[in-house]
Formats: sequence, structure tokens, C-alpha cells
Amino acid sequence: MSIVSPVPPPEVPGAAIEIPFGRGSASPGPLLFLGRAFLTLWSNRKARIGLVILGVDVLIAILAPLIAPHSPTATTFAPYQNPNGTNWFGTTGNGQDVFSQMVYGARISLLVGIAAGAAATIIAVTIGLIAGYRPGVIDEGLSFMTNLALVIPGLPLMFILAAYLQSRSVWTIVLVVAFTSWATGARVIRSQASTLRTREFVTSAVFSGERLLAVVFREILPNMTSLVAGSFFSAATAAVMAEASLEFLGLGDPSTVSWGTILYYAEQQNSLLTGQWVLVFAPGLAIALLAVSFTLINFGVDALSNPRLREKS
Amino acid sequence: MRYVVRKLVLFLVTLWAAITLNFILPRLMPGSPVDAALAKLASSGLPVTNAERQAIEIQLGVPNTSLPQQYWDYWVAIVHLNFGTSYSFPSETVAQTIGKAAPWTLTLVGVTTVVAFVIGTLLGVYAGWRRGKPADTTVTLGATFFAAFPPFWLGLLLLYLFAFKLPWFPLKGGYFPGETPNLSPPFLGDAVYHSIVPAFTLAITSLSGWVFGMRNNMINTLGEDYVTFAEANGLRSRTVALLYAARNALLPNVTAFGLSLGAVVGGSILVEGVFSYPGLGNLLYIAVSNHDFPLMQALFLVISVSMLVAIFVVDLIYVRLDPRVRQG
Amino acid sequence: MRRQARSITLCAAAVVLALVGASCSNTGGNGSSGSGTLTIQGDSGNPTLVENFNPYQGAELHGTYLIYEPLEIPSPIDGSYTEFLATGHKFTDSKTLVYTIRQGVKWSDGKDFTPADVVFSFNLLKKYPALDGHGVWSQVTSVSASGNDVSMSFSNPNVPFAASIAQTPIVPEHLWSGMADPSKDPNTKPVGTGPFTLGAFAPTQYTLKKNATYWQADKIAPAQVDFPAQASNQATNQLDVVSGKFDWAYNFLPDVKATFVDKDSAHNHYWFPPGGTIGLYLNLTKAPYSDVNFRKGLSLSLNRTTIATKAVNGYLDQASMSGLILPNLKKWLDPSLPNQGLVTQDSAGAQAAFAQAGYTTQGGKLMKGGRQATMSIVMPGNFSDWVAAATEVKNELTAIGINATLELPQYPQYSQAIQGGTFDAAIGGFGGSGDPYTDFDLSLNSSFATPVNKPTANNFQRFKDPSVDQALATLASATDDTSKLQATYSLEQVMFTKIPVVLMYYGGSWGLFTTKNWTGWPSASNPYTLPTLYNNSLLTVVTHITKA
Repeated sequence: MSIVSPVPPPEVPGAAIEIPFGRGSASPGPLLFLGRAFLTLWSNRKARIGLVILGVDVLIAILAPLIAPHSPTATTFAPYQNPNGTNWFGTTGNGQDVFSQMVYGARISLLVGIAAGAAATIIAVTIGLIAGYRPGVIDEGLSFMTNLALVIPGLPLMFILAAYLQSRSVWTIVLVVAFTSWATGARVIRSQASTLRTREFVTSAVFSGERLLAVVFREILPNMTSLVAGSFFSAATAAVMAEASLEFLGLGDPSTVSWGTILYYAEQQNSLLTGQWVLVFAPGLAIALLAVSFTLINFGVDALSNPRLREKS
Repeated sequence: MRYVVRKLVLFLVTLWAAITLNFILPRLMPGSPVDAALAKLASSGLPVTNAERQAIEIQLGVPNTSLPQQYWDYWVAIVHLNFGTSYSFPSETVAQTIGKAAPWTLTLVGVTTVVAFVIGTLLGVYAGWRRGKPADTTVTLGATFFAAFPPFWLGLLLLYLFAFKLPWFPLKGGYFPGETPNLSPPFLGDAVYHSIVPAFTLAITSLSGWVFGMRNNMINTLGEDYVTFAEANGLRSRTVALLYAARNALLPNVTAFGLSLGAVVGGSILVEGVFSYPGLGNLLYIAVSNHDFPLMQALFLVISVSMLVAIFVVDLIYVRLDPRVRQG
Repeated sequence: MRRQARSITLCAAAVVLALVGASCSNTGGNGSSGSGTLTIQGDSGNPTLVENFNPYQGAELHGTYLIYEPLEIPSPIDGSYTEFLATGHKFTDSKTLVYTIRQGVKWSDGKDFTPADVVFSFNLLKKYPALDGHGVWSQVTSVSASGNDVSMSFSNPNVPFAASIAQTPIVPEHLWSGMADPSKDPNTKPVGTGPFTLGAFAPTQYTLKKNATYWQADKIAPAQVDFPAQASNQATNQLDVVSGKFDWAYNFLPDVKATFVDKDSAHNHYWFPPGGTIGLYLNLTKAPYSDVNFRKGLSLSLNRTTIATKAVNGYLDQASMSGLILPNLKKWLDPSLPNQGLVTQDSAGAQAAFAQAGYTTQGGKLMKGGRQATMSIVMPGNFSDWVAAATEVKNELTAIGINATLELPQYPQYSQAIQGGTFDAAIGGFGGSGDPYTDFDLSLNSSFATPVNKPTANNFQRFKDPSVDQALATLASATDDTSKLQATYSLEQVMFTKIPVVLMYYGGSWGLFTTKNWTGWPSASNPYTLPTLYNNSLLTVVTHITKA
């Protein structure tokens, strides 16, 4: 469900009002900001777990050639092997080493998640902020676009595009996910921005003669750090899930090695029937853990700009 | 009232845009969906009559006709619910196929969502209220984990464990073979029996979103001045939580709920596919894997329009709940 | 329709609201005794079955094959005939085919079956060309009855076409003559001459009852046949089969011995005979594939045993390059072909052939004129056995220095590519009709070899050879065995030496049986038909099985 049903925003109107993190003259440099953000995240127990899981996934992806004992595509092993000393997770029906596929698969899942999450967030922030700060025709127009993108349900649209499109690759999935997942974020950011618009610190900035872009990006955006980050992590989670779903349905690129294609081939070769439940269990769990890490980091992000959510330590 | 009229106009314009997008989509696609659809229909062995060919062309693109003319024909067909003939179900109309499947999805997934929303929201209120306590940690971590399960994957594992390894539940379908849907108690019992595992899968994976949302909203609202004020005035803390904090914290979740309700129709595609449940999701699963373009287009339209209606309804409810937006 | 939809709404609502009070009893079976029931894995319910027993539309449920009978059934294995509504056929000359119609047969409504019904059925196909799936009227000019005989006049000599005519289902004139539009009618109250009649139809299962007045009722053991619908989900169907719900199922199963046979080794059996050949189609309109030496080099480069192992778990063997499915069609095999036409991997031979085509190996690459040989192989991405085969082919071709890539589009794009001739190489099926003439005609007849971008339904590689067309025409008009054999031999030689298609391994017919309730299933030791559930083999098998 959570693939298409928008996860409720981790933020709420009013959350950041009193803590204008990074706002105004005391605005820290970007490096300092990131460093402080990381420390704040690290100090949050849940976020720490999330960062560790994500870090491990990233390491596995980067070091895949060193970690994987075999080529993920070589079909040199006996098919339908149960886990053993050579093939730690067993082999596919084509005689490929599943453990090596799991290791290399991390690359695609991370790539799709981060790339699509970032792209969706950029679209969401741009449209949401402008709409929220410019009531009238611009807001109406952008909200209309947002509504339209919202009524085009993401997963079905992705399935249909994939069914029509002749050539599909990981980048197609990234684009389609970005294109279909920005609307929820934009809607939430817009409503937050329109609430903030009337707050004193914003109105005072406007009265003091700051330009629109400056107001939007210097006064309003910093107040929505957690909203933006939340939007990113939700979109990234959705992207990881969408990639798995598309691949599982056979609509991805079956020749890439990803956690989704491992599930696809496990279904095609019916690993549950052959008793090789690891082939289903492992990639799904990996996807779940990656999604968990995004969500856990999101808890920390909330705390970053909203001390009320900070844990007592 | 002005707000409502404005929303209504917006709704109608969006409806038009969504239906138009459905018109544009197959025409923008590479290759020729209409040829592919006709070829597949022909290969099913049934004769393709001119009327069927025309209906498919109206949906997917007519060669050698002006776009405005195609667009007009398309609207006429939509109004008459004429979506053509599908390759997967050549002996009935697409509208009939969808009509048979819709009730199963609407009820199974719809009610599952409502239940997940109610339970999830209550759990979220509880976790937010007991913030930092073990109860909170248990609820949030549990919800985080279940939220991250790809629903189809959880479905596969549950199917394997509870329908194959331990044959407690049926492997597939909405009722036992040989039955005809009716309202007799035995049939209802079997339908319930068949829906348990898919419903559980859907509820487990959709519950968590509501828990997070509500928990965070609660924590924020509990920090607001008026809550502190109410507490300072000596109201009992549980009354504060439920009457003041929860009601206000609910607002953002209502928006999300509307969106999610609209997504219900398309939301369970893979889960219904895994359980071979006779609903719309499974139908879309079949349509997409068979490249059954007419059926796919029609389902896509149905799903889009359902979402649009759901959002419109939520907008109307929202204005009742939060008078501030009336000025917005 | 609307009434039904509303009742579904109500009960489905009750489903979720009453989750707690679930009843777990199976009320699916009805009162009749289980011992007399034959349970056959039914049609794919998508998600529910559509009631259709019209034997001509192609949308009919499989049970239709037990309700209507054809004149004769040619074996899909060796083409030999079993008589049903005809007691025999003969060509009085190469353009006139005469069937002798069986007497004493009754329709299941009690009316007599007559030769007039046969004539009516064929004329129905003429009147509604959409129903003429086998293209009977593209070959036949008239059908007439005389006494117990029905004779067909052909426009051209075409002896092998008797197989298509023989399999045409025969329907009762007294019911079908009044039907408004037989090309649209789903025929939900079927009346046939076959061993079964429709008992009950439900959206996920239908039941046939034995026709007590069937003309060979003594050969029909089951009192009832159940067809529970399959799911649209293939993996679920496999789990269903393994759970032991069917007496007869048709499914590929991975590791079939462990996953199926071992569950009940006393009763569970599988038989996966070859039902077609899977080959590497090369686009003969493109260089270097147009060069027979290059094709020969490719053919010698492949290890077909490994490919078959990867693709179909080694259930089936590598294919004979004669174009014949062996052992099914071994009586047609040209004895002069070396090793029954089986080609084994031969690197030296491949190198020699490539050299003749102007290719040499430089630095591990197969080069000609400074360019590496490339090949893009297309197949539907969701045909996992083909993808497995192609992956192995790619690996083997890469090893000899060809830059091979795989294209895995969806089926429509694949089909567009091969029909339009816009491909380098493609994985595709070859033959499987049980009749060498039909197999070769479809694959080699130059009349199918349309120019590139003009779609064709057969001969995708676009093979053209006047001498082959001549041999096909000879075969079509041959009525005596010697000339049939000679013409077939010459076509096998063409397949073997000119390599119009690089045949690789046999595709299987995935028959799964349990002998718990019924015995006499087709098997390797008694191969009377293929174990397919979607054609006349159903009728053949039902007349063979006996109670266990």
C-alpha cells in the first residue's frame, strides 16, 4: 500500500515556527550546517540506526567487486542450489550465485532510491514553495498541476508507462518515479508555505523589502528543512519500492542485477516451490532494511528542526 | 460557499485534464499501441469486428484522422462507457470486466484502508501521548519495520507459509472454485476466509504510515500554546490529548487519508496479483503483463477518476474541519 | 450483470466487516461422489472464467473439446489418425477428399447425428470466415454429402491439409442453423456428440457430466470432469499443482522430481515430451547472417546440451537440425543425416566456417574488415526459459569473439520485430504441428518471406529457395509414402546444410499426472498423444484413461 498511498507528512504546520533553524543573520555555512545536521542526526538513537544501515548498504554497493565472491551474472553453477559453502545464498534456476547478486543489487536499489528521491524533491520544493508564496493565479496554476499529478496514481502510471515503453532502463525508472512522486511533497510544502507566509517573521522580511526569491529561499525554506528532507526520504523509499515492484512484475530491465530482479527471477523460477525461500526472503528484507533506514533517518530529521521530537537523552 | 464553488470548478477542470491525459498518453507512446492491441485481439482467435476495431482505435489512437475528431469520439465513447474489447477478455466489454472486479477491490482494499487508518491513527495518538516511553518505541519501531515491507513480498511470504507450507488458507482467489457469488452465509464465510491473508497483508503494510503521521502531529500539537494553556487550566490530561490535541493533529492526516483512499483502487495491484484476488488490482496486473492496452487504459481512467473524486471530497470535508482555509 | 455485481458488493463488504467470524470450511465440492470425478487443471481464470463453449471462436473453454467431436484426430506426435465422427478418409484423387461418416451417433439432446450436420458445419465456416481458424476455405472449394460420405474438393492438391479438416469440430445443424450470429454467440448451452455435456458453470470452475448416450460410452470411465480455473499467477498455479489438487495438470515445474514426484512418488508422474523446437532465428536479409558459412560457424559454436540444461532444466534434449522433432517424427528422418542431425559443439569446425565467411579471430575477437562481428538477440523479456537459453548463447558467442547482446522487450515489440524482419537474431519456436509438411511449409515457404517492414506470420528469417518451394509443392500433392518421404528428406537436407534456423533444443509439453484416481495417462512408454490440455489431446486422453 505504502507504495502508492502517500505516507502522511512527517511534519505538520506549526512545527518549525518557533525554531527558525539556520535562518537570518546567524545562518551557518553549508559545511557547518551539514556537519551540525549529521551530529544532530547521530545523537538521535533511531536516526543513528538508520545511518548505520544506510552506511553499510553504501559500503556494500561501493565495494561490491571486493565483497562478492563470484560474478553476479555468470551462469556457471548448478541451478536450484540451497545455501552452501560456495554459494552462501544458493543459486538461481540459471545457476547464478545469489549472494553475489545481492551484493551487486545494492547498487541499483541505492542508485534508484537516491536519484529518484532527489529529483522528486527538487520538483516538489520548487513547485510547492512558489505556489505557497504566490497566492492567486500562480498558486492556482501550480496547485492544479499538483492535483493533476496527484490524481494520476503513481504505481499504475509507472506500470502503464513501462508497458508502453519499448526500451527500459534503470534511468527510465528513476525518471518515472521522480515524475510521479513529487506531488505529495509539493502539496504539503505548499500548505506549509502558505501558513508561514502570514507569520510575522516572513511578513516583516517582506516589509523590510526583501525580494520574493530571497524571502522564499531564506525565510521560508529553512523553516521546512524537515519537510524537504522528509519529502526526499519518502520519495526515496517510494522509489526503492517502485523499482522492486516494476522489476517483480517483469516491467523493469530483467538483464540488470538488482534486488527487484532477484525477486522477479525467484517468482519466475518459483523459489518457494523449490524450497529456496532465501531467494525471496533476502532481497525483500534488503529492500525493507533500506526503506527502514530512510524512515529512521527521517525521525532524526524531524528532530533536527523540531526539538519537540528530540529524544530525551 | 465561494470556496466550495471554486473547488467544484477546480474539480471539473482537473477531471477534464485527467481524462484528456488518458487520451494523450497512448498517442504519445512509441510504436503503435493500437496495432499491438488489434494484433493481440486477432491472435485470440475471435473475429475483430469493425465496431471493436473502432472502439479500440478511439481509445488508443486512430490512424489518418484529425486529432480534434479523435478527441471528440473519445469523449463520446467515455460518456457511453465504451472502452472497447480487451485481449484478455474478448467475449465481454471492458466495462463489464471492470464492473465485475470493482466491488471486490472497493470493499477489500477500501475497508482494509479504513481499518488501517483508524487503528494506525489510534496507535499514533497513543505513541505520541506516551512519547519517549517504551510503549512509544515499540509502536514506532514496529510500524517503521512493517511500513518498509514491500506489500507483495510480505504477501508472497504469508502465502508460502500459511497457504502452502501450512495449508490453512487458500492459495488463490476470492472464493472456492465452483461457487457463484451470492449472499448465502456459506458463500460469505468462504469469501471472508479467502480475504483474510490479503487483507492482513494490506493492513499491516499500510498501518504504519498513519502511526507516524499521527504520532508526529500529536507531539507537535501537544507543544502548542493552547494545549499548554488548557492543561494549565486544570483539564485532565487525557481529555486534553483526545479533545484538543488529537482533533487538531488529525487535520493533516485527513488530507493524506483522502489521497490514500483514492489510491485504493490501484493500490493493491501486486498484492491482488500475488493472491489472484478477483479485483481491479489483479485486473491491472493482468492487463499490464499481457499488454492488454484497452483494458489498461480503461482501468487507468477508472483509478484516476476515483482519486480525483476522493480528493474533492476531502477538500470539502477539510473546509469543515479547518475554517482557516476558507480564506485561503 | 448489474444484479450480480451488486450482490458481490454486498458480500465483499461483509467479508471485511466479518473478518473475525471466518468460516474455514470448503463448500466447493458438491454432492456427487468424488471417486467418479476426474479433476483437470482448468482454463486460466483471469480472474474469473468467461462462459464460452463455441468450438470455433478460439475463446472457448477447454471442456469444449469433450463436448464436440471432430471427424478424426491426427496425433500431434506422429500424425496418425484416430477416428471419431468419421470412420475413415481417403483421397480419391489428389484434389478430392472423402470422409465416411459414422452412423448411430446421437447428439446429446437425443437427435440423430447425420452427414448433413458435417456439411452444415463446414458451410458455417464458409458463411462466417471469422470462425474458420484453420483456413479450411482457403483450400476447399466445396463440401457435399452423398449417403454416408462427405467429400471435399480442393482448389489445389494439398494432402497434408486433411489434418486441419479432420480436426474441425462438428456442430448440430438443428440448433446452430437458428443461431443469430455464430461468430459472436458464446454457446452457453452446448449440445454435442462428445463424451460429456455441460453440468454446471461457475466463475472459477465448470463441471461436465458424462453423456450417457455417447457412441463409445464404454470407453469413458469418469462420471464427471471438473475444471477448476487456474490463477493468472503462474507461480500460484505451480503451488496449486504440487498441492495435489489435480489428476492431470499442464505446468512447467522447476526441479520436477523434487517438487512434484517426491511428494507422492507412488502416484505422481510427469511426462515432458517435446512439443516444438526452440531455435535461434537469424535475419537472412542482413549480412553476415545471410552467409550460410557464418550461420554454419554459429551453429558449430553452440553447446546445445548446455543451452537445454539452462533453459529447460535438461528435461528436454538438444534439437536435431533436420527440423524434425525426435523421437516423435523419427519415421520421417533421412537416414543419411549424420548423427540424426544432431550437431555438437566444434570450435575448429566453427573457426573454419567463419574463415570461409571471411572472419578471422584477432585478439579474441571475430573480425572481418576491421570490424567485430556483432549480434543482437531479441526475445520477450518475460519468457524466462528463452531468456535463460539466450543468456547461455550470448556467453558462448562472446567466448568465440562475437559481440553478442540481448534485447528483452515485451511480447508485442518482440512480435513486431520478428514479423517485420527488423531484428538481427531472435529466439523463436519452430514446428510442433506433428506433421513435417506443415512445419516446413510455415518455416521455409518463400510465399511468407515478405520484404523487411512488411509483417509476415511465418518464415520470420525470410528464407527463399525455389527448390524448397518445389519440394513443398511436391510434398503437398504426394499421396504415396515413398514420394512423401523423398520430399521430406530433401527438406531435412536443406534444414541441415543451409541452416535457415539454428535449432537448439526442444520445447516441452508439461504433462503432470497422478495415478491415485485414474491410470492410462500418456507417457514415454505409451505415447499415444501429447499431454496438452488445450486441444484435442483432451478428448484422446479421456478415451484412454481407466479407473485406478
